[in-house]
Amino acid sequence: MENKPTQNQGKLYRFNRVKRKHIEKLAGALSVLILLVVFGLISLFLIVFPRSTESQIEKRKLATFPKFSFSSYFSGEFTKNVAEFYDDTVPFRDSFKTAGYNFKSIFGLHTADEVKIVGAKEINKNNPKPVETSKPSAESKPSETSKETSKQESAVSQTPQESKAETSQMGEADYTVENGIIVVNHNGHYRALELLGGGTGDTYVEALNNFHRDLGDSVQIYSMIAPLASEYYLPNNYSGFSINQKECFDSIASRLDDGIVSIDIDTVLAQHTAEDIYFRTDHHWTPLGAYYAAQKFAQVANLDFKELSTYQKNDIEGFVGTMYAFTEDPHINNDPETFTYYVPSNMDKCTTEHYDTAFTNMSEWDFFVDVGDPQHNAYLTFMGGDEQVVRVKTNVKNGRKLAIVKDSYGNAIPGYLFGSYEEIYVIDMRYFDLNLVNFVKEQKITDLLFTMVAYSALGENAGKLDVLRTQ
Amino acid sequence: MVFSSLYFLYLFLAVVFLAYYTRKSLKQKNIVLIVASLIFYAWGEPVWVILLLFSAYLNWFMALKIAQHKETPKAQLFAGIAIGVDILLLVIFKYTGFLVENINGLLHIGIPVPHIVMPIGISFFTFQAISYIMDCYWETVPPQKHFYKFLLYLSLFPQLVAGPIVRYSVIEQEIDNRKATVSDISEGAVRAIIGLSKKVIIANSLYDIVKEYFGDFLNGQPYNDISSMSFLGTWFVVICYSLYVYFDFSGYSDIAIGLGRMFGFHFNENFNYPFICKTISEFWQRWHISLSSFFRDYLFYVPIMGKQRKYLNLFLVWFCTGLWHGASWNFIFWGLYFGIFIFIETKLGKKRMKKWNKVLTHIYSKLIIVIGFGIFCFSDMKQLGNFFINITGLGMAINGSAFWDIATWNTLLNNLFLIIFAIAVSMPILQKIKYFFNEWGNNVVYMVGKLGGTAICCYLLIMSSILLVDSTNNPFLYFRF
Repeated sequence: MENKPTQNQGKLYRFNRVKRKHIEKLAGALSVLILLVVFGLISLFLIVFPRSTESQIEKRKLATFPKFSFSSYFSGEFTKNVAEFYDDTVPFRDSFKTAGYNFKSIFGLHTADEVKIVGAKEINKNNPKPVETSKPSAESKPSETSKETSKQESAVSQTPQESKAETSQMGEADYTVENGIIVVNHNGHYRALELLGGGTGDTYVEALNNFHRDLGDSVQIYSMIAPLASEYYLPNNYSGFSINQKECFDSIASRLDDGIVSIDIDTVLAQHTAEDIYFRTDHHWTPLGAYYAAQKFAQVANLDFKELSTYQKNDIEGFVGTMYAFTEDPHINNDPETFTYYVPSNMDKCTTEHYDTAFTNMSEWDFFVDVGDPQHNAYLTFMGGDEQVVRVKTNVKNGRKLAIVKDSYGNAIPGYLFGSYEEIYVIDMRYFDLNLVNFVKEQKITDLLFTMVAYSALGENAGKLDVLRTQ
Repeated sequence: MVFSSLYFLYLFLAVVFLAYYTRKSLKQKNIVLIVASLIFYAWGEPVWVILLLFSAYLNWFMALKIAQHKETPKAQLFAGIAIGVDILLLVIFKYTGFLVENINGLLHIGIPVPHIVMPIGISFFTFQAISYIMDCYWETVPPQKHFYKFLLYLSLFPQLVAGPIVRYSVIEQEIDNRKATVSDISEGAVRAIIGLSKKVIIANSLYDIVKEYFGDFLNGQPYNDISSMSFLGTWFVVICYSLYVYFDFSGYSDIAIGLGRMFGFHFNENFNYPFICKTISEFWQRWHISLSSFFRDYLFYVPIMGKQRKYLNLFLVWFCTGLWHGASWNFIFWGLYFGIFIFIETKLGKKRMKKWNKVLTHIYSKLIIVIGFGIFCFSDMKQLGNFFINITGLGMAINGSAFWDIATWNTLLNNLFLIIFAIAVSMPILQKIKYFFNEWGNNVVYMVGKLGGTAICCYLLIMSSILLVDSTNNPFLYFRF
C-alpha cells in the first residue's frame, strides 16, 4: 500500500497516511538531533578553543574584554563591548574570514579578464570635484595621518572599512585623492591597483619652493614622485577611474622653482612594465622598481651608481602584502608573489644608525632587517619601518651627503645609493620632530631628495612638508 | 543583542534553550523566557528596560480596569489613558527631535533640538500594547490576570525588538497551554536558519552593493553624492536595495517565527512573497502583514474622520504607516506615495484591474514598489532629489550622467548569481520544492527531502556563522523603527 496513492479528504496521496505519521516523527527527531549536534558543536568550539587576539589579514589587534564600571554598563558600552569581544575574537578568525571570502566568490561570474572594483568611482570629468583648495593645518596631529600611513603599520587599530569611512566623511574642501582599488586578473595573476582621483599638487609645489627659498642654492633639491601602479596596469576600459599621473607630475615639475630638479621616473618605469616593478598584492613598488628610479636619480644627480648584478639578491617567497586587507579579495591571498630585495656589496662597510624622530637615542643595527612574518611584512625589511630617522655612513668619500624626505615608497631607495654618498639621512615626512631646514644646515647636507608616491604628493601628506620647514 | 551575531546564537540562545528544556513545568519555562527576554532587552538598553517594564505594567493594569468597568464610560477612559500614554511615549522617544526641527523650520525659531536616543523596539512593543488594550476594550480577548504572563507576551525576545507585531489573541492560549513537539523544534530551527541565511548571506551581501553606491547610511555614514550615477546604474542599485530590505526584514521575521516555534509559540506570518503581487494593494497584503493589519484593524476601521470620509481615513493610515517607519519626511512621503496608488486602485476597482494584462500589472507594481524603496532609502532630501533625477533619466540631461556605466556593470557581473538567487528566493520556489517532498512524493521522497533539507540547513548555518565572523556590525534594518 505504501507507494500506492490513497484517497484522503478528496486529495490523492502517494503514501499511507498512518505510516507517514511515524515517518514524519522519525524524520523530525533525526532532523532535530542533527541540527542540535551541529549547533552544540559550534557553541562548544567557540567556548573551548583559545580566542584570537590579532588579525593578520586586517592588520589589527582584535577587541579585548571590557572593564566593568557602572557608568559603562548604564551607557550600554559594557554589554556592547562584551558582545563585540565575543564576536571579534573567534578562534582561528583569519581562517574563517578567508573561508567566508572564498564562499562569496561564488556570487559572481568569473571571466578571464575579471575586474573587481573596491570602493572606486569613475571620475566625472564633466563635473570635477574641488581639489586641494585648502592648505592643511599646521596643527595636524600625527594620528590624523592619511591612509598611506595606516597602511604601513603592522598592527593598526583601524580596520580598512573604518579608514574608508573616514575618507567619505571628509568635507569637499579636503577632497581626497584616494579613489578606491581595482583588482584585475591579468595573464592569470591577480593584481590590485590603487586609483588616483585627482589633485593639483599645489601644496607640494609650494612646500618645495619654500624649502628652496630657505635653503638657497647651497643645497640641491630634487623632486621624484613615484606613480601608482595603476598608471601602467589599469585595463584600457577602466582608464576613466584614475587620472593620468604623468600629466600631473609634469604639471608639478613646471611649477617648481628653476633650482629644483625634477626627476621623471614615470617615463623610466614605463619602459620596464614587463618586469616586476610593482607588487601585485601590495601597495608599494618592488625593490626592482625602486632600483630603476634610483638609477635615474643617480644619472640626473651625476652620481656613481652600481649595476644591479653587483648586488646580493634575496628572495622572500609567498609574500602577500597589504592589498589583501584593503580589498578582502581571496584571489589576492591565493596568488602570492616573491619579494626580492637587493643588498649592496659594500653593506658590511656601512654603518646604519637608527634614531628616534627627534634625532636622539641612537642605536646601531642593520639597514636590511629580518622581520617577523615576512610573508606579510616583507616591506618592513627596509630599516624595519617608518617611525624613525636613519643615518647610513658609507665608505664613500666624495663630500656629498643626502637627506631623503619620503613616505614608505622611499624606503626602497637608499640601499641603491650607498655607493654614491658619504652619508644618507632617511627622514619620514610624517614622523620628524625637528625643523628640517635647520637640520639640513646642521648636518651639512648637500642634496635633499623629496621622494614619495603620488598619493602623498597630491594628497594630505603633502601638507606635512611645510610643517617640517616651519615647526 | 542582534539575532545575526555569534554571541546571540551560540551563547545566549544556547543557554536559554538549555535552561528552557531542562525546566519541567510550564510556569518555570515561562519564567525562563521572561528572564531571558529581559536580559536580551537590557543587553541593548540597560536603562530603558525600565520603560518596557513600565509600559507592560501600565497596559496590563489598564486592561484589568477596562474589564472591571466594561460597557461604561470608565472603560473608555482607561483605554484612552493607556493608549494616550503609549502614544505619548512613542512621540517623546521617537519624534521629539523631528517635531522640534520642523517647528523651528516653520516658525524660524531656535528651540534646541533634543537628541533623544530611541529605545530599541519601542515601535513594536508599543503597538503590541495598543492592540492588546483595543482588543480588551472591544472584548475580543479577555484581559490577562497575571502580570508575569502579560510581561511574557510583551517582552518575548524573539519578536521584541523588530516584530512581527504579535496580537495577544495569537499567543493567549499558548502562554498557559503549549507543548513544543519534535516537529515544532525541527520546523522552528529550520525556519530560523533560513531566516539567518537570508540576512547574513543574501541581505548583507546586497547591502555591500548598496553602500558602495549610495553610501553606508545604515551605519551612520552620510549618503554618497549620487548625482553622477548613471540611469541604469541607479535602477540596478535601487533594485538591490529593495531586495535587501525584503531579505533583511523577512529574514528577521523568519528567525522570530522560528525561535518562537522552538519554544512552542505559533506567530502569524509577516511576509507572503510580496514581490509576486500584481497591485500595490496586494503588495501591502503580503508585506509586513502584522503592521498593515494593525493599521487596518485599529485605525482604518475606526472612523476617526467620520464614516463618510473613508478616503481621508485611508490617507491618515498611510501617513501613519510612513511615520511609524521613522522620524523623517522621506518615510512620510513613502507612506503617502503608497496611499496615493492604493487610492487610485480603489477608485479603479479590483474587478477592472483583474482584467488587465498580467505582465503589465507586474511591471506596474514592481516599478512603483522599487521607486518607493528609493524614497524609503534616502532621508537626505538632496540625495532623494538626485535619485529622482537619475531614475527618471533626467540626470543624463541635467548632470550629463551616463545611460549605463562600467562600474555598475562590473558590480552586476561580480554579483550576478547572488542577484539571480535573491530574485528566485523572493518567489515561492522553496514552497514548491517543500510541497514536492512533503506532500507530493512517497515516503522515501519525504525522508530524502527531510534529511536533505536538514543537511542543507546545517551547511547554511555553518556558512552563515563563518560569514558572521567578518561582520562585526550588521544590525537589522528594522531595529531602527
